[in-house]
Amino acid sequence: MRPNKTRPNKTRPDGAGADRSRPEGMRLDGQVAFVTGATKGIGLAVATDLARAGATVLLNYRRDVERAKHALRAVAEHQPDAALVQGDVADAGDVNRMFAQIRADHGRLDALVNNAGIASDGYALMMGDAKWHSVLDTNLGGAFLCCRAAGRLMVRQKRGAIVAIGSTSGLNAPPGQANYAASKAGLLAMVRVLAKELGGYGIRVNAVVPGFVDTAMTRTMPPADLDAYLARVPLGRIGRPEDVASVVRFLLCDEVTAYVTGTTVVVDGGMTC
Amino acid sequence: MALTLAETAAAAQARQDVCAEVKTLLVERLTLDVDPAVIGDDQPLFGRGLELDSIDTLELAMAVEEKYGVMITDDDTDSLLSLNRLVDHVQANR
Repeated sequence: MRPNKTRPNKTRPDGAGADRSRPEGMRLDGQVAFVTGATKGIGLAVATDLARAGATVLLNYRRDVERAKHALRAVAEHQPDAALVQGDVADAGDVNRMFAQIRADHGRLDALVNNAGIASDGYALMMGDAKWHSVLDTNLGGAFLCCRAAGRLMVRQKRGAIVAIGSTSGLNAPPGQANYAASKAGLLAMVRVLAKELGGYGIRVNAVVPGFVDTAMTRTMPPADLDAYLARVPLGRIGRPEDVASVVRFLLCDEVTAYVTGTTVVVDGGMTC
Repeated sequence: MALTLAETAAAAQARQDVCAEVKTLLVERLTLDVDPAVIGDDQPLFGRGLELDSIDTLELAMAVEEKYGVMITDDDTDSLLSLNRLVDHVQANR
């Protein structure tokens, strides 16, 4: 008997060899997906990934029109029906307007990705009210408003999937992030509550918790801090937005996760294990 | 500013129209076994009135939002006390 040959590992340990351009499975053809904070970083990676999988992606942005147009062009290369939806998720009026627009334009919503988030760090005893409220209002309040509005659309359909993007800060509560960590920890609790409340309507609600991911937020870190973080990551590299996006798609796809709700998937290279 | 008699009559008619619409909406969306015309404007929607329950509340809130673009949450529970209160809420927020 011939010895088994070891198959070459096409996916290198650093993940760079993984071909994410052709998602053969986990298709989302014909689905309408709304991604908040979709014009950069993880949000843009998610929007792009969902469009590659066939979904009509609606990209939410708050202010930067030029960046939004640039993001739309990138996403529309994969799915020409993609569109921009302007609005501040922390503003209830904006959220209601955006979802009314989605209902009018598409008549349905299959997937919501609550990604929009901000950070504004500072030690708690010196943290001003505005800094506290702005982070909570966007990261947690915005997710609540979007879930409520999306849920009302999905209840009618008796199906839908929601994914909230958390953060390992919500798990390990680092100093200087009382507002951010509280918002992300609260998000995980809200996901579990919503999973229980909406499960009876066929709506699944899950969370993805990215660790240290290469985004504009992390690129401004001092190199020494970056090295310290990397030393705690068993997989030995910083995450890419695409690493998170593929897990979001996994959780949105009924084909593979129809029986998964109320759970949290940590995508951090093992940092918190 | 005071309304003319014609304006007052028109406003009253508009309110009656919305009341009739909401009654029909209630009956159709909640599949109530009742003629919309016999629902009184001050009839309680819950309890001994139309005997709606908490699941009906969500259905009614979504129906009103779809038809009038007006959101109802549990901040607005007073608006669900009667048909008149509900129409007040719709007219004030649409």
